[in-house]
Amino acid sequence: MKQLETTGLLDERQKFICLSGDKAGLKCESDSVAGAISQRACVYCGARVVLNPITDAYHIIHGPIGCASYTWDLRGSLTSGVETYRNAFSTDLQEKDVIFGGGKKLTGAIDEIVLKFHPKLIFVYATCIVGVIGDDVESICKAAEKKYGIIVIPVKSPGFSGNKSTGYRLACDALLELMSCARPAEKSIGINILGDFNLSGEMWIISEYLKKIGVNIVSRITGDSTCDEIMKAPTAALNIVQCAGSMGYLANRMEEIYGIPFIKVSFFGIEDTTNSLLRIAYALHDGKAVEKAKNFTDKKSKETASLLEPYKRLLHDRKAAIYVGGGYKAISLIRQFRELGIRSVMVGTQTGKKDEYEVIRELADPGTVVLDDANPAELEKFMRQTGADILVGGVKERPLAYKLAVAFCDHNHERKQPLAGYDGAVNFAKEINMTINSPVWKLLKEEAAV
Amino acid sequence: MGGNKNYTNLTVNPCKMCMPLGAVTAFYGIEGCMSIIHGSQGCSTYIRRHMATHYNEPIDIASSSLTEQGTVYGGEQNLIAGIKNLVRQYSPKVVGVATTCLAETIGEDVPRILQKLKYDPDCADLELVSVASPGYGGTQFEGFLAATLAVVKQFADDKTPNSDVNIVATYMSPAEMRYIKDLFDAFGLTYILVPDISDNLDNVYNPVYSKLPQRGTKILDIHRMAGARFTVEIGLFSGEYSAARYLNKEFGVPFESVPLPVGLRATDRLIKLLSRLSGRPVPEHLKRQRGRYLDAMVDAHKYCGEARAVIYGEPETVYAVTNLCCECGVFPAVVACGSKCKELNGLLGDDISKISAVRLESRYDIIDEADFDKIAQLIKDRGLNLMIGNSDGRRVAEKLPQVTLVRTGFPVHDRVGGQRQLHVGYEGSLRLMDEIANAMLNRRETTYRKELFDKYYNGGVKPIQTAAPSALTPEKVKEKTKTHPCYDCSACGSARIHLPVAPACNIQCNYCSRKFDCANESRPGVTSGVLSPEEAVKKYLEVKKKVPNLSVVGIAGPGDALANFEKTKETLLKIRAVDPDVTFCLSTNGLMLPFYAASLVEIGVSHVTVTVNAADEATGAKIYRFVNYFGKQLKGEEAARTLLNNQLSGIRFLSAKGVAIKVNIVLLKGINDGQIDRIVKTVKDCGAMITNIMQLIPVKGCPFETLELPSNKELNLVRKNCGEILPQMYHCRQCRADAIGTLDNDISIDFRGSENGEQKDGERMTDEEQVLRFAVASKSGMIVDSHFGHAKEFYIYECSKNEVRFVEKRAVSKYCGGPECDDDQEDKIDGIIEKLGDCDGIICMRIGVMPGRILQDKGIAVFSIYDRVEDSVRKAAQLLAEMPERNIVKTDS
Repeated sequence: MKQLETTGLLDERQKFICLSGDKAGLKCESDSVAGAISQRACVYCGARVVLNPITDAYHIIHGPIGCASYTWDLRGSLTSGVETYRNAFSTDLQEKDVIFGGGKKLTGAIDEIVLKFHPKLIFVYATCIVGVIGDDVESICKAAEKKYGIIVIPVKSPGFSGNKSTGYRLACDALLELMSCARPAEKSIGINILGDFNLSGEMWIISEYLKKIGVNIVSRITGDSTCDEIMKAPTAALNIVQCAGSMGYLANRMEEIYGIPFIKVSFFGIEDTTNSLLRIAYALHDGKAVEKAKNFTDKKSKETASLLEPYKRLLHDRKAAIYVGGGYKAISLIRQFRELGIRSVMVGTQTGKKDEYEVIRELADPGTVVLDDANPAELEKFMRQTGADILVGGVKERPLAYKLAVAFCDHNHERKQPLAGYDGAVNFAKEINMTINSPVWKLLKEEAAV
Repeated sequence: MGGNKNYTNLTVNPCKMCMPLGAVTAFYGIEGCMSIIHGSQGCSTYIRRHMATHYNEPIDIASSSLTEQGTVYGGEQNLIAGIKNLVRQYSPKVVGVATTCLAETIGEDVPRILQKLKYDPDCADLELVSVASPGYGGTQFEGFLAATLAVVKQFADDKTPNSDVNIVATYMSPAEMRYIKDLFDAFGLTYILVPDISDNLDNVYNPVYSKLPQRGTKILDIHRMAGARFTVEIGLFSGEYSAARYLNKEFGVPFESVPLPVGLRATDRLIKLLSRLSGRPVPEHLKRQRGRYLDAMVDAHKYCGEARAVIYGEPETVYAVTNLCCECGVFPAVVACGSKCKELNGLLGDDISKISAVRLESRYDIIDEADFDKIAQLIKDRGLNLMIGNSDGRRVAEKLPQVTLVRTGFPVHDRVGGQRQLHVGYEGSLRLMDEIANAMLNRRETTYRKELFDKYYNGGVKPIQTAAPSALTPEKVKEKTKTHPCYDCSACGSARIHLPVAPACNIQCNYCSRKFDCANESRPGVTSGVLSPEEAVKKYLEVKKKVPNLSVVGIAGPGDALANFEKTKETLLKIRAVDPDVTFCLSTNGLMLPFYAASLVEIGVSHVTVTVNAADEATGAKIYRFVNYFGKQLKGEEAARTLLNNQLSGIRFLSAKGVAIKVNIVLLKGINDGQIDRIVKTVKDCGAMITNIMQLIPVKGCPFETLELPSNKELNLVRKNCGEILPQMYHCRQCRADAIGTLDNDISIDFRGSENGEQKDGERMTDEEQVLRFAVASKSGMIVDSHFGHAKEFYIYECSKNEVRFVEKRAVSKYCGGPECDDDQEDKIDGIIEKLGDCDGIICMRIGVMPGRILQDKGIAVFSIYDRVEDSVRKAAQLLAEMPERNIVKTDS
């Protein structure tokens, strides 16, 4: 059995890394090692990315300016309605406010937004400083709700209070609170889509597929959604959960509270898309939908497979390194690469869970390096060691890949090409091919040979 | 592939300039040289204008100003006079004479004329050089080379060996020539560059202006070119005009021709040559430049990779830029040369086909003698998004929004800095590449939201037809009004359909209650069901089949058409796609009218009915309980004011666009009956064409339920009075939101449910085959990824005839609580078996020996499979069918 070569790694980090065949597995779901240069983000970030796509919501980031600045219109979530969500509102706390409290400023900020924009829904994020100085965000929000008859939901997300997953959970709680504002209504026969954020129109793509197989959508959470749409969610007959990392919790809670069963789905790659659509139709016990889904997926998967064929020839036997946020996406990617004839040689995530890592270790070829919460030095080491041709990751990892003459695919929220569904599978192949087969690598190789 | 033009005999929008322009540009690179163009006046003026805007320098070029007389009898007089005047005004050291088509065609013997001047006292110490540069002889590219060759031929004669290296330059910008000189300096090489336009066409500020170009190649140096140790010719396409070849042939000066140093390899080639000539290693700063460029190429490769470019211009630039593109991943779909150039195909074919292969591009074109008409055609045909070339391409880029123009070459006269353009060397290549990448980024950033919306939202929004059907003209609206039963009482034979796609309303009127599911009541706001846009289209098609006189599609609620604008819009667009002619009509309370009026016009709504019940806010406040406006509920006069303002401004906008406006007014006794005429007047002023004063229909549970009703006589009196202001509608039937048919014959009840196709009857999936049921341990729900002992839930699947069906998800209490857990396991497995007892098999990633055995004893097969859920169920079913005994099956390695 191949042994993992670990020279140069921090001692504390060794247990977070293993080879896919290792019996012992690896450590994960732990706090980042200080000074290791983690690629993880914070609680606030997790909450913000989940809630941000609600197109008509106002997001007030209560804290000093940085948190609002860095997340302003950052995500490529698209809208078919208003563009409110593309603005950033901040209380921009100053030293004085930190000393005497920022509550008044927050109340003022809410007043101004109400007067100027007549919002239906405001989210108020409490960031690190607010968590420390202890502004009573909750009662300020309550008071505003009373005063204006609108919904103001506090999201208490100081960065230090956990990691990005904590933020996801806070966002889910906020969504539940929003749903609880709706008057109970009759059940419908449609479904909710959880965990798609309409990056590059992916929600639209999936919605269209569902429409094609005759499945109604009640509420989209949260891509291209609106306040009203989310409040309708409790009337759905079924939840489908896409990004389980961020939305599994919400699905569980909705099952408890509203008795809505859920199934997990994935729309990355041909096979996942086909299976997910069929599964949804079956789960609804809708014979007509099943028939339609069979026909639709059959036609689309054949069509798409033939479109992928030429790319497969160009990508055959290449090696991929994966470093993404959640385990679920990593698993999807391993399989999607396999569909293209690409082997995954390094797989890591920022916040993967234990069982997800187990799947990864099973799924990946023997000898694949598996790592949790990796830092740049580790990514560098293992990309070199495995001879990866391409890295899939977020923009922070991009320059590193490039320095190592490794091609790159952005599978993060800043991308501007949809990668979901049949359409996305083709885009994915196209993008991978475009970067992996770019002529620039040959020039770099010549350079290295000199 | 060359020469495949749109027209054989017609060049449309030329992609090249003429020879004299190139010739005088080269003359600008000689110290103290003035040029004169031997031809009619225009040639000189046009060329000066072109050069002045590119270089932002005064461009003084004389003309022999040939007149009719000169043309007939010879231009000698004019030319001699011209040169003498030039000498008088500028005292040049050299005068370059460039001929034109005219001079060449009438057969001017310029060398002979200049010979005469040699002994003219006015021209003492003056050097004269001439070049034959007729417009039909070539382009500015050849002109530049021809003039350079003429200068070299005339002066290079000193064969005494010297240690200089000749540089014969093809056309480059002044900044680029400076860069080349810096390169030679960096290697410690002394050189003679001809022509050297680096200063004369990009001069520094001088407190004292000198109109004679002060710098450039010295004639003295050109003499010595014959004795230089080597010639570096920059450019591969000099052909018969190659000065390097001339110097080699006449004086034995060895030479090497290198391409314009654009891109990594071409720059490497020049630098290697310089290193060899100087015997020195490549200096550190150049290595850093090179490394930086490489680094940048990687950073930009994905943006460059999105580009599908047409590269056009002179052969030298086109060749060099195409090379750069092939290196950084831009697909050069079309390489177009304005002049004749047959060699390009052979030189570039290889590199372009390599990049085509990995890009899965089936074709590319290398064409010469191209014009912009052809280029525009190719941009459209091949779906290109980038043009790289001179400013003259901007007219194409303006017309074709899908392309962005990156400017390089000559002329760049719609931007400043043409003279400082630097696209050679590592740094220049990097700049050009950055510009290409930024063009792609900018395009993506500014268009992706809309593009993705158009492509994917609702399965792709078809662009609104701009063709005749939706373009509304006043005549067309008039025509349509004739078959609209609610606007023209003589049209009562025409039928309309109201599609109830708009359930929500944004105001509450005190006389209204919106109700669904009432088949017997008939009044506005009532419908028996709300349709989705798809259902609405289906219904429309159904009705259209059976009601041939159907001429109008209306959206009249049951709420407000504009409070549900997306639905309304989608419905109308979808209907427009299947019926280009049907009239679109819509009724609204007008609250959102100012926001959607423009879209309505665009969609082709020709008739809009607005209900206006009050002429002032005090009256309005009595009629409207509230108004929901952008998430805020307005009440009282504020509500009434907002509503009225929006109604009127919307009506104004629409009527200005030619839309026929009907205003409905509900006559409310004791509330607005005193101001009906005021309402009519007001809406008339805003452009309404007809009003419809209506009886109140008392509705149970509404505040106005008990309001006294006006008699028909009273109503008609009001109508008659108001008829003097504006035409009135007397035949309104106050119909339902899902009415179908003519006004007097609502047949909507005949079509109930027709939007659904066959009825859904909850048919059960039946299958006579044996059905096997499996419980799958999965966390992700996509793959078998859970230990039996850790599973908190099982996905139940059925499989028959190789078809896998998801049934449901069942929660169980975990069998195993962790290493320390040993209590109550028996109980737990009983619980699990109870939950999963109906299954034929359990599929999990792994399972302990104990529970496996227990399950087996109960007749439940256990499969340890690692795969996608659906695939593993299929596999398990197969195994189960093949196996007589049920066992733990290890199928995965």
